[in-house]
Amino acid sequence: MERDRHTLKEHLPDRPVERWTGLTLRIGVWCSAGFMAAGLLLASRTPSGETGDAFPRSPEGVLSLLTSGGGIPVSMMYAGVLLLMLTPFVRVLAAMLGFLIEKDTKFVTVSLLVFTMLAGELVFTFR
Amino acid sequence: MTLPAYLLFFVGGTVTGTIGALLGLGGGVFLIPFLVFVCGLPMHQAIATSIIAVIATSSAGAAMNIERRTVNIRLGMLLETTTVAGAILGGLTANLLSGETLTRIFAILLLGVSVLMVWRSKQSDGAVTPFDEGLLQASFRDPAADEEVAYSVRRVPAIMGVSLLAGNVSGLLGVGGGIFKVPAMTMIAGVPIKAATATSNFMIGVTAAASAFIYLSYGHVNPFVASATAIGVLAGSFLGIKAAQRIQSIVLAWIFAGVLLLVSLRMFIF
Repeated sequence: MERDRHTLKEHLPDRPVERWTGLTLRIGVWCSAGFMAAGLLLASRTPSGETGDAFPRSPEGVLSLLTSGGGIPVSMMYAGVLLLMLTPFVRVLAAMLGFLIEKDTKFVTVSLLVFTMLAGELVFTFR
Repeated sequence: MTLPAYLLFFVGGTVTGTIGALLGLGGGVFLIPFLVFVCGLPMHQAIATSIIAVIATSSAGAAMNIERRTVNIRLGMLLETTTVAGAILGGLTANLLSGETLTRIFAILLLGVSVLMVWRSKQSDGAVTPFDEGLLQASFRDPAADEEVAYSVRRVPAIMGVSLLAGNVSGLLGVGGGIFKVPAMTMIAGVPIKAATATSNFMIGVTAAASAFIYLSYGHVNPFVASATAIGVLAGSFLGIKAAQRIQSIVLAWIFAGVLLLVSLRMFIF
């Protein structure tokens, strides 16, 4: 039985991929949740925290809001939301790196294909 | 936006996140009706908020599941090639449709999900494909059975097709799509239920992110609503994972199938 388990583990050298993707997700979630929570906390203490109905429609719009002093609470919330939206993108890159370390070229290609679709969609959306 | 409004979104997110985690779903099917009917949000904004919440629960859950080695990362990455394509198509289509049309389509989805939930609770999980009989071999430790579960995947093209459909529904309606992917992985591909649920959860973050930027570009992402709801859903999903160990999920599936059926009827006459 013990010997069988060793054999299975030899077939499953997943460690770098698991380590990199898990770490990326954990960091992404906690950082974004931190930004969003801090933004909400500040907004609840600011009487003029209202932004109205218009929201930025591009990453550039969000960045200009972040840099132009368009309200620290809103900027922090946007930073958190953007960070969260980008986490899966970075996770795909992290998996690709893990597969690269494992020299699994087939899955490096699969990850690259997924990332290309995601990046292509971003460029198409905000062109 | 006022403090009571933040609390409403936070509490709503927590409740729907808990229910979603209890039933092994992303929670979008419960969150969107809450945002539309209780909070009065327009349909497109509710979908955008749900997509952000789905990314949050998927990322947090996947990090935990990767640690437990229940996620089949290679299977997830392969299925993402079709699910991302479907999600992009769904996100683009959604922004061409009116809120009323989307509400009607969502009502049909809820009807289908409620039937699927009852059907799934009556079905066995399907036979697991032996380790050396399929592709993308993997194994994980099942603490409940106290054994190492080794398996492989069969009929990969068929589940890639289901993933395309699930991605499309996700981008169009802001749900995770696990309700389609998990049964497909267990029944068609012979993946053990724990690995299928974990792998589906791992995938839905990328699926949701694919359409999230489309909704952002149309100005549907409200930072106040998205932040309060996402944090609530995150808290709820942690609560749900804890509670799931003590609660009979079959009973819950029947109760919430009934709730979804009622919400679906309400949306038809909206």
